[in-house]
Amino acid sequence: MKNTNIKLFLIILSGSFYSVSSLANNNMGEWKPQIVEKMYILPPKHLNKVLNNDFNKSLLALNLQNTDNKIKNKIQKISELNSLLPGTSNEESLEIKHQIIINKKNYIKDMNDFLIMKKQKLNTKKIFFQKIQKNIKTNSLISKASTKFLNNKNIAMKRAEKLNFKIIENSSYNVSKQSKYFEQYQVNKDAMRKLKLAIEKHPMSNKNILSNDPKNKMEAIRNYVHNIETEIAVLDMKEQMIHYMAKIVVLDAMSLAENISLASENEKDIISTNFNDPVNIISIFTN
Amino acid sequence: MSKLIKNLTIILSLTIGSYANANSIDTLERERAKALNLVLDKNISIGDRKKNLQKSKMRLLDIERMTINSKDINKNPNYQTIKAFENFDLTFLVHTSLEKGKSLSITWLEEIGLTTENLMNTRIIRK
Repeated sequence: MKNTNIKLFLIILSGSFYSVSSLANNNMGEWKPQIVEKMYILPPKHLNKVLNNDFNKSLLALNLQNTDNKIKNKIQKISELNSLLPGTSNEESLEIKHQIIINKKNYIKDMNDFLIMKKQKLNTKKIFFQKIQKNIKTNSLISKASTKFLNNKNIAMKRAEKLNFKIIENSSYNVSKQSKYFEQYQVNKDAMRKLKLAIEKHPMSNKNILSNDPKNKMEAIRNYVHNIETEIAVLDMKEQMIHYMAKIVVLDAMSLAENISLASENEKDIISTNFNDPVNIISIFTN
Repeated sequence: MSKLIKNLTIILSLTIGSYANANSIDTLERERAKALNLVLDKNISIGDRKKNLQKSKMRLLDIERMTINSKDINKNPNYQTIKAFENFDLTFLVHTSLEKGKSLSITWLEEIGLTTENLMNTRIIRK
């Protein structure tokens, strides 16, 4: 009976490790960045902050936090159980070892979930930054094609601005009476000039990488993507570690099962002593 | 046959509908054409021409300003828009005439090459 229990325990334990990775993607929550396209123009550093804040509001972040707490609890439990081991009887020690293996198994499952969720977060972030990279590339291609046109338009705007006083002074146009647009145009233009000056004087204006050079933003985003890829590679290694840990737990479980079976065999040996053979009961008579 | 007529009607109405959504360059071209029509119209008196041209110039000035400052045309400008800004003097006639200090009609005639000098240099020949 005990042997079949051990076998079942081993099968369930090893089976659960296989199911860890296959079922991991389910029920872990999602994170879809809710960032409007206008935010794309933010400097990469601010964009990263906004992205992190957005992640903290997601279901995935909540699950990640819960799993992190679970892992901490498991580690505490395992170390508590380990401290109980010295000075216990054989049976108690077997029971504690059994509990340790179960906790280790749970720890590995939670850790695996944790790593998968972290990977999910990093992959979403990577896709987000790659989308921005694509946007910048497309915009720069479009701007290259329309540079000549924009130059002509800027020249036209400058020529038109130079004529403002001439139009107001020219009596034949009588702008103030006949053109509402021109009147409003003058007022708005003055206001815009003041705002432009304020923007130029603003201390953050020089720090805004994007407004100064879109190439810098591209470089900064490329660095972010590179860092994310590095983190994903590290997580892959950690996953490998988790697999090794799982193997150790399985081996521990096998060793525990073997110990239990040996102990039960010894018990059987005692019980199965043949008292019908006088040789076996000599000690009773001699002692 | 009636089906064909129906289909043609739908296509035509869609085409006409799309032309109704004209951009600022189209509006400018239309107003400019009206102003030039007044310049070339022989059937109106000098007084009427002056009066109507004054009104047209005011409208044209506003539309020219709106076109120059429009940000919508920056996105994906079509061939017509690109050419319009390449030929500033001919497109934005009121602005050019103000710059040069000449009347709108003279500015336009000069831009298309009909200057007094050019006309004086021409001679009648038989081919």
